[in-house]
Amino acid sequence: MTDSSESAAAQLRPGLWRTVNERYPGSMIHKGDFVPLARLRQPLSESRLSFVSTAGVQPAGTPPFDTAHPVGDYTFRRVPSASRPDELEIHQLKYPTHGARRDLNVIFPVERLQELAAEGVVGALTPNFFSFIGYNMDAERLERTLAEEIADAVAADGADVALMSPA
Amino acid sequence: MSLQYLREAVEAGDAEKLIRYVRLHLGDGDEAAGRAEIDKAWIEALKLLLDVPETDRPFILQTIADRDAATLAHLYFHLHFYFVKRSGEWIHDGQL
Repeated sequence: MTDSSESAAAQLRPGLWRTVNERYPGSMIHKGDFVPLARLRQPLSESRLSFVSTAGVQPAGTPPFDTAHPVGDYTFRRVPSASRPDELEIHQLKYPTHGARRDLNVIFPVERLQELAAEGVVGALTPNFFSFIGYNMDAERLERTLAEEIADAVAADGADVALMSPA
Repeated sequence: MSLQYLREAVEAGDAEKLIRYVRLHLGDGDEAAGRAEIDKAWIEALKLLLDVPETDRPFILQTIADRDAATLAHLYFHLHFYFVKRSGEWIHDGQL
């Protein structure tokens, strides 16, 4: 095992998340309603795809996500879909970023999606992707403001389909 | 813990639940680690003052006088991470 893989393994902290319910009582969000996924109205190869992530990825040099706030950050960032990984940075305390710092695509696959668009697997990418941090204690605010704002922004970017990924 | 859970703890005056939450937040889900992190930040701040260096006390007093309590509370959390980072011992998976 190399030094870097040892660091990555140390970050995994086996067992930590098995006790998340005990350590964070009341943190689980229970949804009583159900919103079915929308069906694609056209082939993926003719669709404009957007990407929404909780990875805390943002353009380098922009005001960082508020990782210090005890109740979370309810803002999002637009990440140009034409970005190179070295133009982006991560501000996020709560997930292991060791691998992502070596290759951002493992958590925010900007280059892979650019390739899929270039190969015609997807029709095009929206001008922006969208990113926020997943540490949010106010589930209602998350649902009623942040999620709505991101949905509006994704729609305004002309998305036909959105790939959503938790970090 | 959800915000509702914390608000109920505030209403009930349940300090144990509240400080546990702070420790969990500062320790990335590990209460003991969070407690150590709080200690670490205070130790780092204390070390900087042992020689009684010149400090900008007017700035401190003005800031406390001028700013609202929520901003100062937010600053308090930022200062925690500032001193933890300054200590050189960083336990968090990610970065500020």
